[in-house]
Amino acid sequence: MYTMQDYKSNVKPIFCPGCGDYGVDASMLKALMELQLDPSNTVIVSGIGCSSSMPHDFKTYGIHGLHGRALPLAEGVRLANTELHVIVAGGDGDGYGIGLNHLIHAIRRNLNITYVVMNNEIYGLTTGQASPTSGMGHITKSTPFGVIERPVNPLSLALAAGATYVARGFSGDPVHLTNLIKNGILHKGFALVDVQSPCVTFNKINTYEWTRKRVYKLEEAGHDPKDFMKAMEKAVEFQLNPEKFPIGLFYEADVPTYEEQEEALKQGPLTKHQLQSIEDVKALLEEHSVL
Amino acid sequence: MRNYDVSIRISGANGDGIDSIGFMIGKSLARNGLYIFGYRGYQSVIRGGSVWYQIRASTEKLYTHGEYIDILISFDLDGIKNSLGFVKGGGIVIYDSKTNGADELAASSKMDINFVKLPLLDSAVKSGGDIYRNTVAFGILSKIVGIKEDFVIKSISDRFKKKPGLVTPNVTAAKIGYELDLGIDTTKFYFGEEGEPKRSYMLSGNEAIAIGAAAAGCKFYAAYPMTPASSILDWFASHENHGILYKQPEDEITAINMTIGAASAGVRAMCGTSGGGFSLMVEGLGLAGILEVPIVVVEAQRSGPSTGLPTKTEQGDLLFVMNASQGEFPRVIIAPRSVEECFYETGAAFNIAEKYQCPVIILSDLFLSEHIESVNIEPERVRIERGKIATEKAGGDFKRYLITEDGVSPRALPGTKGLEFVAPSDDHDEYGNLITDVFVGTPEAVELRRKMHSKRMKKLETMVKNGDIKMPEVVGEGADAYLVTFGSSTYACIEAVGLLKDKGINVGIISFSYLHPMDSEKVEALLSGKRLIDVESNYTAQFARLIRMNTGINIKERILRYDGEAFTGEYLCAEVMKILKG
Repeated sequence: MYTMQDYKSNVKPIFCPGCGDYGVDASMLKALMELQLDPSNTVIVSGIGCSSSMPHDFKTYGIHGLHGRALPLAEGVRLANTELHVIVAGGDGDGYGIGLNHLIHAIRRNLNITYVVMNNEIYGLTTGQASPTSGMGHITKSTPFGVIERPVNPLSLALAAGATYVARGFSGDPVHLTNLIKNGILHKGFALVDVQSPCVTFNKINTYEWTRKRVYKLEEAGHDPKDFMKAMEKAVEFQLNPEKFPIGLFYEADVPTYEEQEEALKQGPLTKHQLQSIEDVKALLEEHSVL
Repeated sequence: MRNYDVSIRISGANGDGIDSIGFMIGKSLARNGLYIFGYRGYQSVIRGGSVWYQIRASTEKLYTHGEYIDILISFDLDGIKNSLGFVKGGGIVIYDSKTNGADELAASSKMDINFVKLPLLDSAVKSGGDIYRNTVAFGILSKIVGIKEDFVIKSISDRFKKKPGLVTPNVTAAKIGYELDLGIDTTKFYFGEEGEPKRSYMLSGNEAIAIGAAAAGCKFYAAYPMTPASSILDWFASHENHGILYKQPEDEITAINMTIGAASAGVRAMCGTSGGGFSLMVEGLGLAGILEVPIVVVEAQRSGPSTGLPTKTEQGDLLFVMNASQGEFPRVIIAPRSVEECFYETGAAFNIAEKYQCPVIILSDLFLSEHIESVNIEPERVRIERGKIATEKAGGDFKRYLITEDGVSPRALPGTKGLEFVAPSDDHDEYGNLITDVFVGTPEAVELRRKMHSKRMKKLETMVKNGDIKMPEVVGEGADAYLVTFGSSTYACIEAVGLLKDKGINVGIISFSYLHPMDSEKVEALLSGKRLIDVESNYTAQFARLIRMNTGINIKERILRYDGEAFTGEYLCAEVMKILKG
């Protein structure tokens, strides 16, 4: 039985007082504990940004990689050792800006990875520039006259790309969020958990109050997460009606994972394959024999 | 066995099946005891263009495809025009009776060349269709060099084992070609002897890199397609049933990050590309440096800059791979000189990467990656050394980045109980905790940074001291001058030195396969007091600059080729003579 002490490191999180990411940290901790994941078989991978410091807050294995490249790094870990639980943490700049390309392809691949994106609609660590999810008109350091690009909608984008688990949580509701993360980890395939996680220092628009005023739970509204078209409708709801901000599980589908289909993994995880077989190499060379 | 050395060039358009005929001729001759060397000239189009494949066969070991051609067989007028200048006096040019303008070209030639007009296309159509023209050519060439007819038929049957319907028309085409009367004496190109093969395999550099990686226990290869690295990808993709996972990602950024992820999880992992893709890998290279993750990166150079000449060779990325990525971190650059070294040095690259937990770059180029050679390979020579891997908790929290004398800290692989740690791209303490953010600039953090950075960089010194970085190879004692070169350019130097010797000129070679780190003192001692001529395939003499940076020795006499073509012995011999004659 693993206890909280088995998961929580003694590193003090770098978040500002009141940061939404505390809630995500807490929900992640609870999810790991409730699932009793073996910390030595769990790898938390991140990119760069405030939220990407998450691996340090845990006693699992972790890799704190490059800005925007957490998913490729995590995919490499997972492909090499399919016995590991691979969780990716990051922010909206990391995942929906510089790394957006990787998100679409990670979704297509459907590897068994859980991706938690702490979305605060701002670049916090670089002190307050616009992010790809900042709303139209949002005045930030880099957009003094307001944002004039339409925001990325990660949920409809993920659905369109073929995602098999699409959820959104709110760091102001850690119990609800814990469940979304837990089910994301249990989900067979790639799980995207977008989290509305307010930046109390640099985003004075998308605050806790702003979110609370609009948020409602899909499961309480009778949403069927098996219904793709309905999921798409809910994913774009906020775009059409800025007073409605649904959270919960939008969509889940049972689709074969990459690991299940990959030829090279039919003999088990790569880490367990025989390292060297001279006989096999001789056979490979024979294909090029001059005889 | 008499001396035999013949270069055959087959020329036509992309899609004419030229490479396969060159390969089949080479294989037939290799089987009978000749050394083989094959290279191709092609363009970045799938159909059309003017391409050639040159196969050279000799009783002596070969180092290039040869500057000049004995036999040219061309399917079109461009092929004759583009290659005529390389045909030796007394050589043969075979062309199709259907090629408009070829008769006039032949008539206007003032050179001592035998032009032979043959019904290539007509014979192909008689066999079942114009696509069999290359097989007609195979028959003609087989007859000239003396491959027995039953063996010609056998090699066709072998080749189309998986497509039995194609055997009959191809055999017919080959037989018709074999029977065609050239009307000239071709005995000087006739080998005709049956002997034991001197070399067991025919491999390209890329195939040798791929199989070398497999022999070294590589389990993961990620690569986005890019010439001239793509045939490594082709090999891995078609051998996934051997338990090596090949992943084609969305871009090279992904390729290198996936490779770092896979290596972090504990498998031997490699990615490959050319200069353009390597440009995208640059940030990832530094990540492997600071995370201290062992990865192998193949960089098969082609002519740059930018898209450059996608199908032509160059050694123009040397200082780029040497300096790629911000800051300082230990890296190793190995430039194999031959197909055999492609195999063995790929094996060595994995050992160095794991022993010193750093990225190792295999610097190839189009010439090395794509030419084929008859080779011997002994997989038993590939030994696996995995370096320091921690297996159990040493007591207390695990210090993944333990500061050690030699700079190498034992690493832990995920799944090992009690050794959990975070590998961060920020600089960090021995546990992997960040020394950036709230600590940076404090006296403790300043001290930690100094110690951690020194620890990482120390690995370069350690690998040199341990003898893992090979010294250059020296050919020739007391020579009047030495060609200083690296990687694939070495081969042409060996050939040139032989040609110079025939002219009574004593020139040696100092050739490098390990380019970085360099044992500066030893290299300086080796180069001092000798007349040196730098030979490399780029405009700015990057290798000479690297030598100067390390040793202070400025090699002023230089032979630099940057027209996209590979050095050959004849070409270099002429250039060396120019320099020596002053």
